[in-house]
Amino acid sequence: MRQPEEKIQVFANALLNARQQVGQCKTCFHLSAENECEICKSEKRQKELLCVVADSRDLIALERTREYKGLYHVLGGLISPMDGMTPEMLNISTLITRVNNEHTKEVILALTPSVEGDTTSLYLAGLLRPFTKVSRIAYGLPVGSELEYADEITLTRALEGRRSMN
Amino acid sequence: MLVVGANGVGKSNLLEAVELLGSLRSHRSSSDKDLISWNKQSALLRAQVNDSDEIQLELRRKGGRQAYRNQKLLLRQLDLIGPLRCVGFSALDLELVRGEPLLRRNWLDRLIQQLEPIYSDLTCRFGKLLRQRSQVWRHSQNFPQKDRDALLDAFDSQMALASTRIHRRRKRVLSHLQPLASAWQQRISNNKEDLELCYLPGSLLDGAEEEEPWRLSIEKQLLDQRPQEERLGSCRVGPHRDEVVFSLNGAPARRFGSAGQQRTLVLALKLAELELVGELYGEPPILLLDDVLAELDPARQLMLLDAVGETHQCLISATHLEAFEGGWRKGSQILEAQLFSGLEDVS
Ligand SMILES: [Zn+2]
Repeated sequence: MRQPEEKIQVFANALLNARQQVGQCKTCFHLSAENECEICKSEKRQKELLCVVADSRDLIALERTREYKGLYHVLGGLISPMDGMTPEMLNISTLITRVNNEHTKEVILALTPSVEGDTTSLYLAGLLRPFTKVSRIAYGLPVGSELEYADEITLTRALEGRRSMN
Repeated sequence: MLVVGANGVGKSNLLEAVELLGSLRSHRSSSDKDLISWNKQSALLRAQVNDSDEIQLELRRKGGRQAYRNQKLLLRQLDLIGPLRCVGFSALDLELVRGEPLLRRNWLDRLIQQLEPIYSDLTCRFGKLLRQRSQVWRHSQNFPQKDRDALLDAFDSQMALASTRIHRRRKRVLSHLQPLASAWQQRISNNKEDLELCYLPGSLLDGAEEEEPWRLSIEKQLLDQRPQEERLGSCRVGPHRDEVVFSLNGAPARRFGSAGQQRTLVLALKLAELELVGELYGEPPILLLDDVLAELDPARQLMLLDAVGETHQCLISATHLEAFEGGWRKGSQILEAQLFSGLEDVS
């Protein structure tokens, strides 16, 4: 690697572009050998519905349920300042553009209910709300909702409830 | 049961293992890595709690714990809490009155977690939010102003909710503890000392004790303190700034209490804790006394013995058998701890 800096930069950019074009759908950023993935190309999907996921693995998991018939948008991660993940590093500006251009009626946020997932969801909801309806997927029994339940009852009664389970 | 042995033979390890299995926390170490032998990848704690329950906790160097009950892997480690209830009392607790506010917050959190295991999720989550938030300020040059504000909004709303719930629980547990601790303080001081536990929350808690008004008020406080936060580099509102003030006859014991009074106070708090946990679960928790008994004078040792009576199981560590008042030795099982050979029963 005794090349001048610019040459390396050009090479790196070319690599990145190649990866982006060969590896990802140009619209939704799902893994795809083609320029555009099967889902985005399909005529059968509901174009006005957009589901936002952190990565392709989540998309594949959702596809397996066969319940969802809309389109996707893959963020490429979650916001986490601790790990240097800033909003700019995710596919967020493309999401806003898409929502505007494709006249999306509803965006469904399907991010894990962790601190990072919730932060990303709240951040996106703030950006998207002026343009479209935003909703969140309900996860089985997220920690938050369990806490909400426990919050409503006094300590003593919560404890009685626990005891009967033992 | 008395565990006797020289320093460094692992008496505290034994008590710490019980504490970990009972509360998933250790008062001595904050990282699991410190609990695993330096040349091992994991550590295993196992206890036969009663005839029907064997619980097991595996700590792993690469992180993540695995909890088992009767050989069955549990979905969440906090499902382990239940069969083994314990209240710990160590030499570190003696600093509870005069030490840093952090000690008092950790003490409260340990107690609440015993009463409501899910509480640990809440405190973990809040801690993470606080760390993530501080990184936004530290790297604020990486964020355009608009992005930064939007991100802080996202943190404000999550932190306001978590703060509300933490404040409420801490306030509530202190009000449960107040009458018990104050009765013990009266008893130990021969009715000379009136103890009051006062909660000073790190957020302004306005109005009725309800989730919605508190949450909205804290969210606003978080927004309002941002200019200060930017200057000083730390968030000025929230349960991480909570303080508990112990007052004796109206004066803060941290500043005005004598060393003896402060010790009595810690003892009263621990006895109240023991009583509260026992009351709520219908059976007395195990009392873990780690190298602390010898720190108490004979009168306070006897007081503790009297209170614990026949009802509580105690696991006590000390370097010398002589450290114990006669009453403590009577009817106790004595284990002599020796390096490398594990524990030897000499009773
Ligand atoms: Zn696509």
